[in-house]
Amino acid sequence: MKFKNKSLWGRPPMKSSYDAVIIGGGIHGLATAYYLAKDHGLTDVGIIERRYVGYGGTGRNTAIVRANQRSQENVRLYYEGLQLWPSLISELDFNLMFFNCGNLNLAHGEAAMSALRLQVSTAQFHGVISELVDAKQCKELVPYLDISDRPAYPIMGGMFHPPGGTIRHDAAAWGLARGASARGVRIHQETEALGIGVENGRVVSVETDQGTIKTPRVLIAAGGYSVLVAGLIGLRLPIDVLTIQAMVSQPVKPFLNHVVSSGAYHVYCNQSLKGELVTGAHMDPWPNYTTLVTAQYIKHQAEGLTELMPAFRGLRFMRVWSGLADMTPDMAPIIDGNDPVEGLYIDCGWGYFGFKSGPVTGRYMARFMAEGRCPDILEPFTMRRFNETRFLGEIASPVYYGPWN
Amino acid sequence: MSFTVTCPICGKRDLYEFRFGGEERGPRPDEAGLTPESWCDWLHLRTNRGGPQLEWWYHHQGCGTWFSIWRDTLTNREVRPLEEES
Repeated sequence: MKFKNKSLWGRPPMKSSYDAVIIGGGIHGLATAYYLAKDHGLTDVGIIERRYVGYGGTGRNTAIVRANQRSQENVRLYYEGLQLWPSLISELDFNLMFFNCGNLNLAHGEAAMSALRLQVSTAQFHGVISELVDAKQCKELVPYLDISDRPAYPIMGGMFHPPGGTIRHDAAAWGLARGASARGVRIHQETEALGIGVENGRVVSVETDQGTIKTPRVLIAAGGYSVLVAGLIGLRLPIDVLTIQAMVSQPVKPFLNHVVSSGAYHVYCNQSLKGELVTGAHMDPWPNYTTLVTAQYIKHQAEGLTELMPAFRGLRFMRVWSGLADMTPDMAPIIDGNDPVEGLYIDCGWGYFGFKSGPVTGRYMARFMAEGRCPDILEPFTMRRFNETRFLGEIASPVYYGPWN
Repeated sequence: MSFTVTCPICGKRDLYEFRFGGEERGPRPDEAGLTPESWCDWLHLRTNRGGPQLEWWYHHQGCGTWFSIWRDTLTNREVRPLEEES
């Protein structure tokens, strides 16, 4: 069988002006562009991407989707996001490989159990299916778990969240890019933003290394690099950008039917549809914009995994990589617009929640940019909350405040 | 990839012995005339330089000293001090 070598999205030349320019060709930028064109008829949109579509966090996350967050504001948004995937698959006519396997969060102590109890209550209040399970039920869900007293932190119970699962992250980026491009959005890869022009408190242009673009609206959706883009106009953000490492093992027979995570061991893992064990998730606790990896965390990961599931001993890691996580003090995103600069929108600070929230945020962000008014669901994420010390409380126990947390 | 930090007392050591203490952001502002904006600015906001920055470290698994170094955030390498720009 011969495949036609046809690219998924067009590569038209860059125009000198657009109705809206989106900085960042990741899932948030692509989704916003897609919905601007689809829902609001705003098709004169340019996306500029320094590297290539999906280079950043979009292609580096571990593709887990879920809606079992802690605070109400977040759960509402993530749940809508989770429900959006199936319809997006048919709408984009693109197989996003949604594996609806459910997520199991393990607790290794009373404090963690009470934290989960609160999360389950919040979920149930919002109509999200999530339940507390004891150690025996954990074992029924994931037979390879060691629920004995042997591990340093024995498993006490957990939270099972059946609506979650995994999505092929590249497919999501490619599908949205194709959908946006088909509606007139122009995607410019290998184009770097060098400055944002502001006159009389209004956005007027974006400087790029391929020339200047006139535009009344700019969205910064550059993931971990957003702080550097915001820095171009002297905008400081309450974000620390840390690298988060992930790795996959050699492929093996299907044995793990759910996403399993453990806060105490700083480990989560799931089995990909190819059979590889996909696992992360410790962060190097100092800000940097590299995607370097360290032997330290491969070892750390192996230790955590084999404590939880001793059967993993001997499994080899095949590949390791890292991506950027833009962490805010309350682990909730920063979504703002027209403040302090008219026409400047910002969608960042997602930490490691950026992928699962992409399409839904893009849909509301598009409405925000088309109508100029912030939709209710995005309002809690304004940057002004930090002036008012009104944190969204996604962290159960903020003992330290800073990137070493 | 090896990362190191130079402690003024112990010398060049593995980065994982240290804890990061934040970018240099000047002294704590005076209580007098402090607004929510200026407090937020000092407490929460970061300059987030892409390149060499002056920052604080703590030798957590060593001598317990707090000190500052210059590090390039684009390469994650310690660098020589830039000209004083505070």
